[in-house]
Amino acid sequence: MMPYDQYETVIGLEVHVQLNTQSKAFCGDSAAFGGAPNTHISPISLGHPGTLPRLNARQVEYAAKLGLALGSKINMANTFDRKNYFYADLPKGYQITQDRKPICIGGQLNILVDGAVKTIRLHHIHMEEDAGKSTHEEYSPYSLIDLNRAGVPLLEIVSEPDLRSAAEVDAFMSGMRQLVRYLGISDGNMEEGSMRCDCNVSVRPKGSMALGERCEIKNLNSMRYARRAIAYEVKRQVDLIEAGGRVQQQTLNFDPETGVTAPLRDKEDAHDYRYFPEPDLPPVVIREEQLRSWHQEMPLLPWQMRERLSQDFGLPAYDVNLLSEDPAPARFFEQLAAHTPVYKAAANLIINKVLPWCSENGVPLEQFPCPHAHLARLLHMIEEGLISNTAAYQQLFPAMAEQPSTQPDELAKALNILQNSDEGALEAWIAQAIANNPDEAERYRKGKKALIGFFMGEVMKISRGKADPKATQALLRQKLG
Amino acid sequence: MPRFSALAEVRRAMSEEGLTCEQLVQYYLGQIEATASLNIYVEVYAAEALQRAREQDALYQADPSAVGRLHGMILSHKDVICYAGHGVQAGSRILEGFKSLFSATAVERLLAEGAIFIGRVNCDEFAMGSSNETSWFGPTRNAADPGRVPGGSSGGSAVAVQADTCLASLGSDTGGSVRQPASFCGVVGLKPTYARISRYGLLAYGSSFDQIGTLTHSVADAGLLLEIMAGPDEYDATVSHEPVEAYADCPAPGKPLRLAYYPEALEHPSIQPEVKAAAQGFMQQLEAAGHTVDPVAFGLLDYMIPAYYVLTTAEASSNLSRYDGIRYGYRSADAGDLLSTYKQSRAAGFGPEVKRRIMLGTFVLSAGYYDAYYTKAQRVRRLIKDRTDEIFADYDFILMPAAPTTAWPFGAKSEDPVEMYLADIFTVQANMVGAPAVCIPAGTDAAGLPIGMQLMGPKHSEAALLGLAKALHGQ
Repeated sequence: MMPYDQYETVIGLEVHVQLNTQSKAFCGDSAAFGGAPNTHISPISLGHPGTLPRLNARQVEYAAKLGLALGSKINMANTFDRKNYFYADLPKGYQITQDRKPICIGGQLNILVDGAVKTIRLHHIHMEEDAGKSTHEEYSPYSLIDLNRAGVPLLEIVSEPDLRSAAEVDAFMSGMRQLVRYLGISDGNMEEGSMRCDCNVSVRPKGSMALGERCEIKNLNSMRYARRAIAYEVKRQVDLIEAGGRVQQQTLNFDPETGVTAPLRDKEDAHDYRYFPEPDLPPVVIREEQLRSWHQEMPLLPWQMRERLSQDFGLPAYDVNLLSEDPAPARFFEQLAAHTPVYKAAANLIINKVLPWCSENGVPLEQFPCPHAHLARLLHMIEEGLISNTAAYQQLFPAMAEQPSTQPDELAKALNILQNSDEGALEAWIAQAIANNPDEAERYRKGKKALIGFFMGEVMKISRGKADPKATQALLRQKLG
Repeated sequence: MPRFSALAEVRRAMSEEGLTCEQLVQYYLGQIEATASLNIYVEVYAAEALQRAREQDALYQADPSAVGRLHGMILSHKDVICYAGHGVQAGSRILEGFKSLFSATAVERLLAEGAIFIGRVNCDEFAMGSSNETSWFGPTRNAADPGRVPGGSSGGSAVAVQADTCLASLGSDTGGSVRQPASFCGVVGLKPTYARISRYGLLAYGSSFDQIGTLTHSVADAGLLLEIMAGPDEYDATVSHEPVEAYADCPAPGKPLRLAYYPEALEHPSIQPEVKAAAQGFMQQLEAAGHTVDPVAFGLLDYMIPAYYVLTTAEASSNLSRYDGIRYGYRSADAGDLLSTYKQSRAAGFGPEVKRRIMLGTFVLSAGYYDAYYTKAQRVRRLIKDRTDEIFADYDFILMPAAPTTAWPFGAKSEDPVEMYLADIFTVQANMVGAPAVCIPAGTDAAGLPIGMQLMGPKHSEAALLGLAKALHGQ
């Protein structure tokens, strides 16, 4: 039996979420991602002599909203602390954070792993500011510092050690990303560094209740790295224990090039951050009524949205998952559903046409040009047999996206795709199809009934798609005998 | 040119004798030159001050009623207060060549009322000192005796007013840095209530103690400057939102007041007999004016200085982290990699007293020592606040000498930092509790050196405090 099977992995997470506020946490600089290096700066974010922090109230609001969504207890009197350390991308020589009284205490996030729901408890969530970005270039004696990110507001979400595998970490991160997007407080984008996580990993013999000695793996900025780092670290710890050694508590860095975790240098690890109360910021008091109104402003949360899509609209699980992964498609569906009772068809249209169109054209879903009422009309035209499904998807939809203010009926008319169920025209098209293909007609009469499909195609060709398929099939059977 | 001791006199000379701002600036520039050996100014804004004076004169000539309330106010500012486009160095090598990109809120408000800044003045490095001897630019000398210290840390500001090189000067007061040099130089020094004036643009030393203050000849000017600088500021989250009163014309007290003094202060071993005698004379003057003066045991005097130095150095160790040789100011020529840039730049950029306080502050915040020092000092601060509140429940003001002694000769206390720290023993209480305090001249000792008396009131009692100070000082 492999020794690895006899151990259980225990993981606690520290997730950093960058908030998408307009301005930074403690000054008016833009907090937008990117920009030419060192352009979103001011004397305050540069830590110039004589400057003081001014709190961005949005940061408090966003933190409280996340706490409310996760069932945390909200701390009504918030204080800030300084975490002191020297680094070139930390202009003040300290980071403003919350050490003593985090804004959110406790709470939980339910994650879905292998179809089962698991509850991950949270220890706390606190507010802090980000540091700048250092780039260490190979073959250069210099490091480059970009302070655009210095002072951007962050939330640090600290979980209890409730996770048991990389798959659960993945599910937790996805769930958290989905939640912050639903709340509109972060884009949750790991690639741009809007979400990062540090993993505290330990192992223990299965059945043991005591926690093993843990190692912290820092700065995992993609789920792929996190999975690899955890797998490597678990194996390293088990091997160490099996060989009679002991895991030492330390901070590790994961190198994506080699796939190996390695201790940060002692000097970097031996930080004494000398936390103390930030004297430049008075306590921020959240009023009861403020908290109530934030609670009322809360949008449907991901799990509530899934419930709504499947219960209220009867959508199948596949559609629910596709629509609710991000808040925008789910909300788009809700709006479209207000105009039509054909929910399933509406979901199909969004999944198969609207979303691909937006991604091809680089248009955010919220800015899809066509009114919901027009999309609903398209669905109703199919329903009423005025146009075929194919014509609606392939011809009418693109036209609507191009001329969003024109009525769908007018567009369909102009495109000449309105279906014809007029018997006279249909009879003529069928007669022509039979006359053109006497051999096939003969074989059909002798029993090769599958040729009905061939004749359908011929009639469609002759009618240029205007023939109503149902009526055509019925009349064809009759005429072919 | 007469020696002006209040803006009101300047304005009278303008309206009655046609004095202009330009003449006034010319006069003060002459004074600056004549007192160059006192080493008051770090930088003189001569051309710029004259230019601004001419602009102010043109405004006045067009319409004398259209000028600001500080028309004719020629100011200097301590080298820890930012003035956009001008150097600010905190008397330190570490900020060599640094120019501020913005003006302190206080400076902006003074400029908006027509004030003219004539230069920035010397101080102890990062306002850490009681004698002006820690400045990278060398000490400022006391105009009453150039062999003696001017006090500190706003020594340059005190001598600038004492030596008549400007009408008033902005200082900063973390533990007595405005009042103690005012006492040593025979001028009026006002430290307002904590957060009364925005700290935006004041280089931080001990953030929960720091406050901009003024050095003036008259109490009236101190009130006027305060009235203009005080009030809410979106750039300082800690600033007070209490209404700003008419500090400029505070009336003399309309009723008998109750004052307290600490017998243990007057009996303190460090006190100079003439200072004690001056205090007693001051009390008699108060009693003669119908006020009562009672001895009150404070009981915590010996804890004041240790708690103060633990807390201010803790904050300072963090506040001064930004001076790292990376983005601005001095960088050592020996700097190689990141760590050596920090070590070499800070080692050569900071003077010994600043390094001592950074190390002390770093120590008291360190894991394992935090509770024994920082937490305990915070508790002492709380006790001192509570005790002070108790006294103010029964008394309007607390009266004390501003310093135990008059100005001492250069070098006299440089060997023993603790003895130097004790020079702040009477002034620190106001900063510990955030209360306003004013120092007014109270005669001289046998050597002719100025003595100053300090009045301290409850938070936001500036109007009454200045009213009494004006009545006692006579202007």
